[in-house]
Amino acid sequence: MHTITNFMANDHRSCDHLMVAVEQAVASGDWELARTGFGRFQEAMQDHFAAEESLLFPLFEQSTGMYRGPTQVMRGEHAQMRQLLAAAAAALAEQDADDYTGTAETLLIMMQQHNLKEENVLYPMCDQHLADQVEALLPELQKQLTGSEKVPT
Amino acid sequence: MQALLSFDQAPPFAAPFRFFLTAPLFALLAGMLLLWSGPELWASRWTPAALALTHLISAGFMLQVMLGAMIQILPVVAGANIAQPLLLATLVHVALTSGALLLAAGFLTSEPLAFRLAALLLGSGVALFLGAAGHALYGVASSNPTIRGMKMALPGLGMTVGLGMLLAMALAGSLTVPLLQLTSIHLAWGFVGWSVLLLASVAFVVVPMFQITPPYPAWFTGRFAGSLLALLCLWSIAAGAGWEWPAALLADAVLLTVAALAVLTLQLQSRSKRTRFDATQHYWRLAMRCTLASCVLSLAANHLPVLAEEQEWSLLCGVLALFGGGLSVMIGMLYKIVPFLVWLHLQNLGGGRVLAPNMNKVIAARQIDRQMYAHFLALALLLATAFWPGYFSYPAGLALLLANAWLLRNLLTARACYRQQRLKIAIRAASTPAEQGPR
Repeated sequence: MHTITNFMANDHRSCDHLMVAVEQAVASGDWELARTGFGRFQEAMQDHFAAEESLLFPLFEQSTGMYRGPTQVMRGEHAQMRQLLAAAAAALAEQDADDYTGTAETLLIMMQQHNLKEENVLYPMCDQHLADQVEALLPELQKQLTGSEKVPT
Repeated sequence: MQALLSFDQAPPFAAPFRFFLTAPLFALLAGMLLLWSGPELWASRWTPAALALTHLISAGFMLQVMLGAMIQILPVVAGANIAQPLLLATLVHVALTSGALLLAAGFLTSEPLAFRLAALLLGSGVALFLGAAGHALYGVASSNPTIRGMKMALPGLGMTVGLGMLLAMALAGSLTVPLLQLTSIHLAWGFVGWSVLLLASVAFVVVPMFQITPPYPAWFTGRFAGSLLALLCLWSIAAGAGWEWPAALLADAVLLTVAALAVLTLQLQSRSKRTRFDATQHYWRLAMRCTLASCVLSLAANHLPVLAEEQEWSLLCGVLALFGGGLSVMIGMLYKIVPFLVWLHLQNLGGGRVLAPNMNKVIAARQIDRQMYAHFLALALLLATAFWPGYFSYPAGLALLLANAWLLRNLLTARACYRQQRLKIAIRAASTPAEQGPR
C-alpha cells in the first residue's frame, strides 16, 4: 500500500497532531512550550507545502498537462494557509490566547478542507498518473518531509 | 473529471447562506405553533398541530440546512461542482420555503389545495436539487465512504419526498393509499435513508479531521451505508407487504445499526485530542446521545407492546430524534460552516491585502455558548412536555423561540460582519486604483 495518497495523508495527520500540541500548551498558559511547538508545526507545514510545490505538483502537471487545474488551486490555498500561520505566530508573540484560538480554528478548517480535496481528489489522481514513478518519488518526498517525520504522533 | 479543473469554485456566499438564514425562521414558527396550540398538540403524534410541527422542523429547518450545506460541500469532499449554484440555490430555496410553509398550513387547516401545492413545490424543489447534485456527482468515483454515503443518501431524499407527495395527495383527497403504513415508511426514509446516511457521511470526515480523533474503523465505514440502505429497503418491503415478524426483525436491525453509529461516534469523540470542547463538539455529542436514546426507546417499544401503546413514548422518541438529534447537530455544524465561509469569502475578496477577521471574530464564542444553553433548555422542556403537556408546553414554546431567535441573531451577526468587511475592502480598492479591486 505504498501510495502517494497514503504517504501524504499521513503527513497531514502528523501536522494535525503538531497543531494540537500547540493548542494544549496555549490552553495551559505555557507560552514557551506553545512557541516551540508552533515552530515545529510551522516547519512541518512549510516542508509539506514545499514538497508539493517543488516536487509532486510539477510532476503531476507534466504528466497530465493540467497546469491551471487543481494544482494551481492548491497553491493558492497554500498561500492562504501561510497567511494564517503568520497571523497565528503574531498572536503567539503577543500572548493573545483569544486571537490565537480564533486564528488556529480558522486555519484548522482551512487545512482540513484543503486536505479533503487533496486526499479525495488530487492524490488519487497523482497515484493514477504517476503510477510508474511512485517507487522513485516516495523516497524523494520522504527527504523533504523529514522535519515532521521525526516527531512522534 | 472535468469538474476538477475548477474545483476551487466555491459557490457564492449567498448560495448556501440563504438556506442557513431561513432555517431558524422555521424553528421560530414551530415555537409560535407550540404557544398557539398549547397542550392539545401533545395529545398524540397524529394531531394536526403535531404533524405541522414535525414538518416545520424536518421539511423546514433540517432540509434547508442539509441542502444548503450540500451545495457548499460537494465540491470540497467529492470534487463535484454544481453548475450555476446561485440559480439553483434561488430556485430550490423558494420552492422549499413556500412548500414547507404550505405543508404546515395544510396540516393545520386540512385545506386540500395547500397539500397539493405543498406536494408540487417540495417535489419540484427537491427534484431540481437531486438533478443538479446527481449531475455533479455523475462520473465521480465512489473512492471513499463519504462520497459513497452521499450518493446513497440522495435517493433516500427522493424516496422520502416521493412518499411524502403521495401522502399529501391522499390527504388532499386525490388518492387512496394505506395512510398508516405509508407514513411509517416515509418517516423511516426521512430519518434513516436520508438524514442518518447524510449525517454518517459527514461524520466520517468531520469527527476525525475537525475534532482530531482516531478515524472510524474501515470495516465500519466501508459497510455502514450499504448495509443500512439494504436493511431499510428490505424493511420497507416487509412493512409494505404486512409481513409482521420479518418487518419487526428488520426494524430492530435498522435501529441497531443507527445506534452503532451513535455509540462509535461518542466513543471517538471521547478520544478527541482537542483541549477544550467548543459548542460544535457539545452539539455533536448531544445529538449522538439523543439519537442513541431515540433508538433505544424505539427498540423497547418494538418489544414491549405496553410501551408502544403509550402516546408519550412515541412523542418522546420524536422529540429526541428531531430536536435532540437533527436540530442539535445542524446548529453545531452551522457554527463552523458560517464563520468559515465568511472568512473564506472575505479572504478571497481581500486578495491578501486586507486580512479577513478570524472565525471567532465573526460570531463571538460567548454568544454561541449562550445560544447553546437556550437550546439545551428548550430540549429539556420539550422532553418534559411529552409527559406533562399541561405544565410544560408553553415554557417549551417560549424556550424554542428564545433559542432560535438567538440563533438567527448569531447568523445575522455573521452576515453583518461579512457586509461590513466587504465594504471596507471595496473602499480600500477604490482608494488605491493601482490595485485590482474585489471581484
